Amino acid sequence: MNSLDIILALYAVLGAAITVATCLSKSHKTQNTLSMILPVCYLALTLYILMATQLPAYGLGSDYFLIDHLSIYEILIAATLFLLAAVYSRQYVKDSIFIHEMDESNLRLYYAAFNMLLMAVVYVFLADNLALFWILAELTTAFSAILIVILNAPKNIGAALKYIFITSTCMLFAFIGLILIFTLTEDLIGVGTLNWSMLMSVAGGLSPGIMFAAFIFTFVGFAAKSGIVPFHAWLPTAYSKAPGPISAILSGTVTTIGVYGILRMYTIVAQTAAIGKIQILLIAFGVISMIIAALTMLREPNLKKLIGYSSIEHMGFVLVGLGIGTSVAMFWVVFYFLAHAFTKSSLFLSAGIIKHQYGSVRLEYIKNVFQLQSFAGWSLILGAFSIIGMPVSAIFLAKLGILAQSTLVSPVLTVVLLTVFLFAAAAFGVFMIKMLSRKEDSTADVPYFHVGWGMKIPIAILLAIVFVLGLFFPEQLTTLLNTIVSELGVT
Amino acid sequence: MNIALLLAYGIINTLFVLLVSPLFISLIKKVKAYAQGRRGPSLLQTYRNLAKLLKKETVYSQNSSWIMRATPIINLAALLVASLFVPLIYLPEPTDLVGNIILFLYLLALAKFFMALAGLDAGSSFGGMGSSREMAISALIEPIIMLVFASLAFAYKTVSIPDMFRGALANNVFDPVAVLVAVSLFIVIVVESSRVPVDNPETHLELTMIHEAMILEQSGKNLAMMELSSAMKQLLLMGVLLNILVPWGLTTDFSPVSLAVALAVFLLKAVILAVVIGLFESCAAKSRFFRLPGLFAIALFLAVVTLIIEVFA
Amino acid sequence: MILPTEQLTQILMVMVLATAAIIIMKRDIRSLIKTYAFQSLLVAVMALVFYIETGAVTLLLLAVVFIISKVWIIPHFMGKVQQKLNIKRDIKFHFLSPITALIVSLFILLFVYLAFTPLIAELNRFNSTLFTLGATVGVSIVFMGMIVIFTRKQTLTNVVGYLTMENGVVLFSLFLTELPMLIEILIIIDLIMLTLIATVLAFGIDSTIEEFHARLNPFSREQQTKKPEETTQ
Repeated sequence: MNSLDIILALYAVLGAAITVATCLSKSHKTQNTLSMILPVCYLALTLYILMATQLPAYGLGSDYFLIDHLSIYEILIAATLFLLAAVYSRQYVKDSIFIHEMDESNLRLYYAAFNMLLMAVVYVFLADNLALFWILAELTTAFSAILIVILNAPKNIGAALKYIFITSTCMLFAFIGLILIFTLTEDLIGVGTLNWSMLMSVAGGLSPGIMFAAFIFTFVGFAAKSGIVPFHAWLPTAYSKAPGPISAILSGTVTTIGVYGILRMYTIVAQTAAIGKIQILLIAFGVISMIIAALTMLREPNLKKLIGYSSIEHMGFVLVGLGIGTSVAMFWVVFYFLAHAFTKSSLFLSAGIIKHQYGSVRLEYIKNVFQLQSFAGWSLILGAFSIIGMPVSAIFLAKLGILAQSTLVSPVLTVVLLTVFLFAAAAFGVFMIKMLSRKEDSTADVPYFHVGWGMKIPIAILLAIVFVLGLFFPEQLTTLLNTIVSELGVT
Repeated sequence: MNIALLLAYGIINTLFVLLVSPLFISLIKKVKAYAQGRRGPSLLQTYRNLAKLLKKETVYSQNSSWIMRATPIINLAALLVASLFVPLIYLPEPTDLVGNIILFLYLLALAKFFMALAGLDAGSSFGGMGSSREMAISALIEPIIMLVFASLAFAYKTVSIPDMFRGALANNVFDPVAVLVAVSLFIVIVVESSRVPVDNPETHLELTMIHEAMILEQSGKNLAMMELSSAMKQLLLMGVLLNILVPWGLTTDFSPVSLAVALAVFLLKAVILAVVIGLFESCAAKSRFFRLPGLFAIALFLAVVTLIIEVFA
Repeated sequence: MILPTEQLTQILMVMVLATAAIIIMKRDIRSLIKTYAFQSLLVAVMALVFYIETGAVTLLLLAVVFIISKVWIIPHFMGKVQQKLNIKRDIKFHFLSPITALIVSLFILLFVYLAFTPLIAELNRFNSTLFTLGATVGVSIVFMGMIVIFTRKQTLTNVVGYLTMENGVVLFSLFLTELPMLIEILIIIDLIMLTLIATVLAFGIDSTIEEFHARLNPFSREQQTKKPEETTQ
């Protein structure tokens, strides 16, 4: 066993140990602290892999796991978000129990599922075998559903069921695609394989017709996981019903899993003759998702749903970036994962404060934001600024990069994308103005919800990262992203 | 082609159908009675009923026209001709004269058409209701019958019923087409002979009756002819099912011994099928008229799937 | 008189399709669950037939796992849940009436057949039409299960639809290839987990039991306004 194998096993051992410890411990503080320790350990281990080993490398034999820079990058994002969400949860969950939004008896389940979700997410990004990737992605659905349903509201159950049914239904189609690929390789090289690294090496000889069919099937599944239109119905509901920190990690990491899967599939089919059709398909689905999401956002009265729809819009944009398919576009797509994850999480965390202050995130209940929750008000403004891609935010850079590449496909595409951005920006602008300008004189009867540092710091950190990256792009990040793009074999 | 042999076949087959068909009506009644814990009528009861009816005077409604008078004769005639098409015990040499499946279906349809007209003819409310229901059901079951016979025609590459039987006889194992078609055909038999989930042959309850409502105005000899022709229709359809699914026992050899053996084998097969129908009727509950399309949809689905899987593949 | 494998497989395929059709049509939840169990049994029998044909132990194991988990445990569990929930029938349909749904699924079957024939023809190993048909039937059943999911209202029925889809996927993989055993087992565990979660959640949403609603509905606006007075202290 080399050190990689030990680390890979350590991920599981640590996750299991901390989950067991969570289930055994009685106080909320211990459980919360344990949930903070796990992402910290993961961060440390992952950074160690990045620094100390030669990547890409197989782990635990060559059949199931592959560690390359993309997986490291995604795990780092995920672990950071989970850490911040765990910090934020400390007060949020306490308060949720206090207002009977959540039962105290569910605490253990909450933290256990939280840890298990992190573990599943980490392994999803490490999976080399596509079937294993599929299984782990399904597991993340299961744990996410548990986390959504943790609140005592029938609507949450509805949202979780919708989530489970839509994503798993579509994921079954993805499995059909995987079986096709397996059969195809069995036909071609004698041994069936679903290993991404193996497929990458034989992809040139795969039949374009079957690969196209297989891609469509897998696309349906993974697109549903990312909430691409027409499989998006679950996303706004699930995100708006989930507790604040959970919405943040769902939008930041779990949604990305789908697009990550599409990216991996894309790199395989990019070597076959089917790529032309697939690029058109990706751009079409991306643009449709963006248009529908942006138009829905314009009339959305619910803050969290607004942010949810914005996720659909951004995932659509990522698809467009994939469809453009040049290495520069790919560079920005991979960067977009990070920028979007951090910005979106900060928005959901801020919305969590609003939710606990007003008991609802619908526009008509939110008033006097600056008197009551000036921090949340400002963080929402900054988050909205960043998410619509205003300059000096990280998303601005990524959007600019992809837009510049989109002219290579067609100038019309660029114009369409810009128009959609305008609509999305207008939606956020109108909503923010309406929400922040609502005033009522009788503030006395609206009780004040005290927001502790535990809830403010994660938001501040996320926003800081987003804006610092917008201003100053570190050399190491450029190298990392370039390595990822070259490992994906995109030229 | 031996005309004498063909003639003999015609006489034997038609007589057999004519004489044996009432038996199965009683048999199914008997099975149902046993299932309900009763003893049920004697197996000869249908013959007795027919004999009684034949002795009785025929009464016509004042409003009825020639249709009322012609219908029983047309019905019986159509069924007698149709009985030539389905060899039950002796399989004649291949010939173009008999067995065209489309003609067979049209003969059945002709009988049904006149029956429905006669139901309307007397102008009674029940007759009209029965006719309208019967026609609605026929319209729904028609595509299934067509598909069933179309897949048989595809599978055996012929439109002649005797040739299909010959094809089935040539297989020494169960033919998947036959097995699957048999299920659809079973539903067709249940519908066409007005049996339980669709219609209840025993009731004269005005709300639910379909077939009985149509022949409510018939009496005496005419009623006897109508009853006899529906018994024959049931036996013919049963014969198609049996000789496609389990064709063994059909003889191609025209000698008294083999004919007797074939007769015995066919009676055995038909008795088993009749028991199955009776049990099926006992297990099922009469379904609402508006739920029937659901039953037919499943039969249609099965028929189309059979067609796709067995025939196109 | 033993049927040759090919013919037996064809009959089994049609029967599986018929059970899927019945699942689309049926309103009574108990018979839905029974039909599902029967369908799983048919798939298991098909795996056994293939085992006898090819002698691959994976198929035998698959059949055993199928019979234990899907013919016995899941239907049993769902039956228990159905009794507790005390819902007997699922009579509401959206988007498609059952008959339209059946006709739609026929068209899907044809479409899938037309789409898959050239695809499978590209693979060298499959010269028999049986494989094309098997693939077609598998994918069609996946679609039919999807129809069940989006036309039915009760969560239990949706779960049955989901499981039907999954049977379709298994059928598809049976005909095309043999996945590694570990993957197969993991998938089954995974799906069982999802099924369990969905079924348990069915309690929350389908339940007609009063207390359940009472427990689920404590979140009202009065209670919220009470809370922050204490938080601010």
